[in-house]
Amino acid sequence: MSTPHLKIDNLHTYFYSKQRQAFIHSVNGVSLNVMKGETLGIVGESGSGKSVTMLSLMGLINATPGVLKGSVKLYTENGELDLLPDLHNYVDLRKDGNKITAVKKDIRGWNKRHQKVMKNIWSKEISMIFQNPKAAFNPFETIGKQITESILLHTDIKNPKEAKEKALYWLEKVKIDSPTLRYENYPYGLSGGMSQRAMVAMALASEPSLLIADEPTTGLDATIQSKIVDLLEELKESLGVTLILISHDISVISRLSDKIAVMYAGNVLEHGPADSILDKTSTQRHPYTRALLNSIPSKENVQEGGYLMSIEGEVPDTIMVPAGCRFYERCQAKDESVRIKCAEENPPLTPITEDHFSRCWKNK
Amino acid sequence: MRASFLHQPIELDIAQTRSIWKRADRGDLLNIAYGLIVLSTVLISYIMGTFDLLPYDPEEMDLDLMMMGPFTEGHLLGTDFMGRDMMSRLILGTQAYFLPGMLAIFISLTLGSLLGVLAGYEGGKTDKVVTYLNNLIDSFPRLVLILLVVAAFKPNIYYIMIVVGLTNAPIVAASIKNKIISLKQRNFVESAIAMGFPKHTIIFKHILWYNCRALLIIQATLGMAEAILMETSLSYLGFGVQEPTPSWGNMVQAGSNYLMQGDFWPSTAPALAILFTILGFHLLGDGLNNVLEGKK
Amino acid sequence: MNIRQVTLQGDKSPAINFSTLADIFPRYISKPVLITITKELLVTMSLLLGVSLVAFTILFMAPGDPFALLLGNDGSLAASEELKESLGISNSWAGQYFSWLGNILQGDFGTSIRSGEDVFPSVFEATLNTLYLTLAAIFITLSIGFPIGLISALRSESVMTRSLSIVAYAISALPIFWLGYIAVYVSTTYFDYFPLASGFSDDGEVQILKFLFPVLVLGIGSGMISEVVRHVRLEISRVMEEEYIRTARAKGASVWKHALKEAFILPVTELVTSKIPFFIGGAIIVEQIFNWHGMGRMAWQSAQDRDFPVILCITLVAALLVRGGSLIHKIIYIIVNPRASHE
Repeated sequence: MSTPHLKIDNLHTYFYSKQRQAFIHSVNGVSLNVMKGETLGIVGESGSGKSVTMLSLMGLINATPGVLKGSVKLYTENGELDLLPDLHNYVDLRKDGNKITAVKKDIRGWNKRHQKVMKNIWSKEISMIFQNPKAAFNPFETIGKQITESILLHTDIKNPKEAKEKALYWLEKVKIDSPTLRYENYPYGLSGGMSQRAMVAMALASEPSLLIADEPTTGLDATIQSKIVDLLEELKESLGVTLILISHDISVISRLSDKIAVMYAGNVLEHGPADSILDKTSTQRHPYTRALLNSIPSKENVQEGGYLMSIEGEVPDTIMVPAGCRFYERCQAKDESVRIKCAEENPPLTPITEDHFSRCWKNK
Repeated sequence: MRASFLHQPIELDIAQTRSIWKRADRGDLLNIAYGLIVLSTVLISYIMGTFDLLPYDPEEMDLDLMMMGPFTEGHLLGTDFMGRDMMSRLILGTQAYFLPGMLAIFISLTLGSLLGVLAGYEGGKTDKVVTYLNNLIDSFPRLVLILLVVAAFKPNIYYIMIVVGLTNAPIVAASIKNKIISLKQRNFVESAIAMGFPKHTIIFKHILWYNCRALLIIQATLGMAEAILMETSLSYLGFGVQEPTPSWGNMVQAGSNYLMQGDFWPSTAPALAILFTILGFHLLGDGLNNVLEGKK
Repeated sequence: MNIRQVTLQGDKSPAINFSTLADIFPRYISKPVLITITKELLVTMSLLLGVSLVAFTILFMAPGDPFALLLGNDGSLAASEELKESLGISNSWAGQYFSWLGNILQGDFGTSIRSGEDVFPSVFEATLNTLYLTLAAIFITLSIGFPIGLISALRSESVMTRSLSIVAYAISALPIFWLGYIAVYVSTTYFDYFPLASGFSDDGEVQILKFLFPVLVLGIGSGMISEVVRHVRLEISRVMEEEYIRTARAKGASVWKHALKEAFILPVTELVTSKIPFFIGGAIIVEQIFNWHGMGRMAWQSAQDRDFPVILCITLVAALLVRGGSLIHKIIYIIVNPRASHE
């Protein structure tokens, strides 16, 4: 049976806006599990907190105050690793009921502690690829050198010549054209698709067990997008890495994911097996997920002369967090029987089936 | 080191139209405040000097009270090596740089705006020419060019300030040009043209007055700081104001022998005046820059 | 296509120099780089020409007989008329300018009015002295300013970073001549040494002292510390926010190694080369105080004496140093930044 690979529990990451003198509740109590070898797709609008969740556990958050609460556990051959060790020692929270009203954090101390743990995780256990592949590479070095750097740092290969061969091997594996030429190229000389492939190569060259892909297809041309998805599919099969895929494009998510989590305004609204979530005939789905799926133009609604479904309302404000359900304002499935509860209390995640959870008062 | 608490206000003002002054960094506001104090002090000193409203006659010597430090009875800022009142001399010293500094600022702002607008608005060949001119001016170290002018025309503070203004013009031009380019990028200029405004209105009213006036004020403060530096350096070198007329520069120089023998005050008092004044203008310009032009 | 590959593969013809150079320094010397550098050289020369024009014209407009002074002949009017005739030189600006330019390009800068010696050799020697002083002073300024800028960039705003910045500003606003006097005082009182330097002496210990004080005064008092702090802070905080730094961290790689070029090499080069004019200006004053026989002191002296050939030569040399620095900066930028030469 699958064993757990990464467990995120009740993660909170806030930022402070000087302009508006208030907290941005970017990640507001997120819990996720990923099993070994599985692909978890995290889907949501911009601002839903999906990237920030991953950046939080990877220690790549620069802004203040950052990660405040929660735990993240990584399961490796050596056992269980706490990625946010002693977080509570560095953070002082003042609450008003459930809401956090004031924060005091020893940022430098926490960063030091976090980085001590992450030093052995970065690229060794978990690799991450980012949205803007050309900008992600050091513009002053060749692509090849940057891949080789990963190899020399994290694998057993210490010989530069061998490392270069390995780098070329990975470049071939990501199906980049003319690997030997691309090896000597600088980042500015690569197109979007090629640099994305190169970034995948760099991320996998250190042989991690978990790969986080943050919006890998966003910003690429549509044709290139599907090629990258193909590539990820292939690599997943041949290498057996665990993959966490973040995207706002649900079609990309649906092609690759075994499990899907739907995020909105800093919360997970629904998560479960991909089939279950994407099943259009199911009635037991979160209204947001349903709206998301309906908004994808498909052959059916176009041909029948139907309207393009969009989700009414505006992107939620992560500063003024409402007391009740986050999706309340835009929910089309408001039911008189639970409406007041929806407006006043934020529903917890409740199981619909054994592994499918949803955050809605309408669940039975 | 623990940071202080970040607070979430219980009530949030929905229509948050806080002015930039309210949102401004406290440090910047302090800098601006200090700079304004310095500016007013300079202005008042200038006026006092012009109308001879000095506490003492700056040339009156009190041989019993030579080289007294500050807070001496009757002399708040002490006396110099000839028993002359320090404060009066310092106040009178502003005469040496104030008006000439204004000349320098005027030249740098007008010439700089002209060059900056030409380079930014017209672009293309004009830009290349203006860039060449700017680089040409920048190739001369200021003091060297001033010495060249002094060699040719004999020391004349106004000629020198013309040179200072000229050498500052490229800096003004560069910042105006950058501003125009950023305005162009935001389609500001395009839309102004599309709205049918005549060219001179766009340049003078919309670009320079609405958008660049903060820049120009900031450049003016830096220009004054520069002018003070140049005037005092030249007076020290013997090319500026001559004794017994006080200039902060020649006061430092005159007191130097006494300093090297251990009597610091006659030389140090004017040096401190230079320090606090130039610092004031720099901090004023810096603070205004952060508040008005946005800190990253 | 990678240029090197093309030249290597198609390289049957021996005569093209680029292919051999490209073999030795493939990354750094390539055709686009050389073209850019040549362009920059041409621009530099045109600027220096412009400088000569401006400087000459300023002296030309001076009251008195500039021609006589320029040719080092401050003798009688008759003598200068004779000279003009024999050289076939007119009284016009153009005539004088071009003949003077012609002399310059042959290395003849005339003779000093004050000393009667050849201008160029003495200016050259003086310039070397100033260069020693200036380069050492720049090093001091950077050593003080860079760490302050670095700390301000890396740490969030605090009382400490703010006060450090203000201290840097205050030091930069200090009049350098006063600082010089203090240094002389300290030197005579605590080190028993009156620092009237004149080049280098044989006595090792004294030599260091002779050098130390002017360098410290110029390094600290030039007013450039605040500029260094400001620039470094801006650049480093900008670089730290760049995406490729985030990738480096996510790779577990050394962030400093990746940031080195943009956060250290480029800013330092930019600072050193762009602040040369300010250090030369400061050197004028420092050399005066410490009697350091550099071009600054010579400039001051020649301004007093109205020694036209000397001041003209010094102006040109100063401009040469400034433009030379700018050229070096551009070259380093092109070498370090792979994109710059290929655009």
